[in-house]
Amino acid sequence: MNRWLWHGVYAAVLLVVGWAIYKASERVDYTWRWQRIPQYIVSTEGDEIRAPYDGFVALAGDGKSLTLNELNGSRSETFTQFDTALSGDGDLVFQNDVLARKSGLRAGPLTVGLWVTLEISALALMLALILGLIAGLGRVSHNPAARHLATTYVEVIRGTPLLVQIFIFYFFIGTVLQLSAFAAGVAALAVFTGAYVAEIIRAGIEAVPRGQMEAARSLGLGRAQAMRFVVLPQALKKSLPPLAGQSISLIKDSSLVSVMALTDLTKAGREVVSSTFSPFEVWFTVAAMYLLLTGGLSIFVRRLEKRMAHE
Amino acid sequence: MTEPVISVRAVSKRYANGVEALNKVALEIHAGEVVCVVGPSGSGKSTLLRVLNGLEEVSAGEVRVDGIPLDTHKRSINRLRARVGMVFQQFNLFPHFSVLENLMLAPQRVLGESAGIVQARALALLEKVGLSDKVNARPSQLSGGQQQRVAIARALAMQPEVMLFDEPTSALDPEKTGEVLDVMKQLAAEGMTMLVATHEMGFARVVAHRMLFMEHGRIAHEDAPVAFFDAPRNERLKQFLNQVL
Repeated sequence: MNRWLWHGVYAAVLLVVGWAIYKASERVDYTWRWQRIPQYIVSTEGDEIRAPYDGFVALAGDGKSLTLNELNGSRSETFTQFDTALSGDGDLVFQNDVLARKSGLRAGPLTVGLWVTLEISALALMLALILGLIAGLGRVSHNPAARHLATTYVEVIRGTPLLVQIFIFYFFIGTVLQLSAFAAGVAALAVFTGAYVAEIIRAGIEAVPRGQMEAARSLGLGRAQAMRFVVLPQALKKSLPPLAGQSISLIKDSSLVSVMALTDLTKAGREVVSSTFSPFEVWFTVAAMYLLLTGGLSIFVRRLEKRMAHE
Repeated sequence: MTEPVISVRAVSKRYANGVEALNKVALEIHAGEVVCVVGPSGSGKSTLLRVLNGLEEVSAGEVRVDGIPLDTHKRSINRLRARVGMVFQQFNLFPHFSVLENLMLAPQRVLGESAGIVQARALALLEKVGLSDKVNARPSQLSGGQQQRVAIARALAMQPEVMLFDEPTSALDPEKTGEVLDVMKQLAAEGMTMLVATHEMGFARVVAHRMLFMEHGRIAHEDAPVAFFDAPRNERLKQFLNQVL
């Protein structure tokens, strides 16, 4: 009986917050246009086939295949994957003119941005795990050089804002190494997250009871062998929940790459806002899409922690 | 006179905080000897064992195993450690491995022996300590006494020349100590060289060839078991025995 009362309180609070947002928007004379959002998530316009170069169009008799013959050259290309031809037989078309349309569902800009965010996050995470493992091992190493290098890396990265690091990667390192915006973004996120992963792994290693290392060494295993077979497996297992939590942070941190010429979900959101002039709806939608990504991971983390608590 | 298996000469161990855990300890253990060390907490029993294993560095003096000095900085320390088996108070079994894997890890990785030989030896050892039915169990599924018996088998899998026992039954329930002490008695009967730090006086009396009494980091008294317990010739030892017996 009591439980339902509190569930009701929860629902009531949410309703009040929603109402407050609505009332606040009325105050600034905001017109809500939710109906304009879906097309930016999933577009029903379909794909357009554009001319790669100037040329003449030759349409087959059955209308199912279209050939473009280059105007001042010998290149030619045939297209068959379309539903409606938008140019006629014998037409002169210029580069980027629409030749035909393929109808069907296509990902809207927000979904494309979501995909880019996912790509960047996944790649950065993989690199960060490798970097973090090496740095974490360096942090506990007996070798002074390894230990100092790892500590410097961790302290510097954890002590500076991610945005500043992204700028350094984009403008300095990216230019020097001629990296694409995508590569620079992934690199910056990987280096940033790697420092946190290093600390998580270090904590995991130090959480393994000393007796484990002592028993392993007593049996004659070298320090590296003891690490590899006895300590690290246990440390990594302990590190899984915080590592999963760090990947959730990574997805959110990735929104900062929008300051570079990278169209991730946040940048896509900005572009849709400038097309629709509906910032409220767009940003709530973008937030919901991020929630979709992080929410899934959160559930996974909670289940993982529950399972490990039982062991 | 054959080379002693373990030779400790004027070994002192001082910690960074100034505590003197060992104070000019001298000791020789010969093959087949069973030596039991008793004493109050903080007397240095554990430190002595850990020094013999290379787990702690000495501040002064020398430790030799089979005549070879134990230098913790050299790579050869690992090979030397393989000759000295250690059983800990807290068992320290590897929780992410099965019992069989616990036994097989070191012989394969340190001695480079083949899986077939190592497995056969491991199974034989598990039978010896009475745990053949627990071959594939995880340490978390075993009782304390069972875990310690596995730990003994694990140390024996490296075929050491001397076994060190650091209060092996202190973390066990009283009714479980028997199964572990029986294994140790059997080992002693088979001629294994053993150094045991323990509070189990009954066990020590039966099994030991020599008794040591340690206090404040030194060996305060040494005697044969019967004289040690029945007619102690050292005042402090007398007081200690009165307290524990």
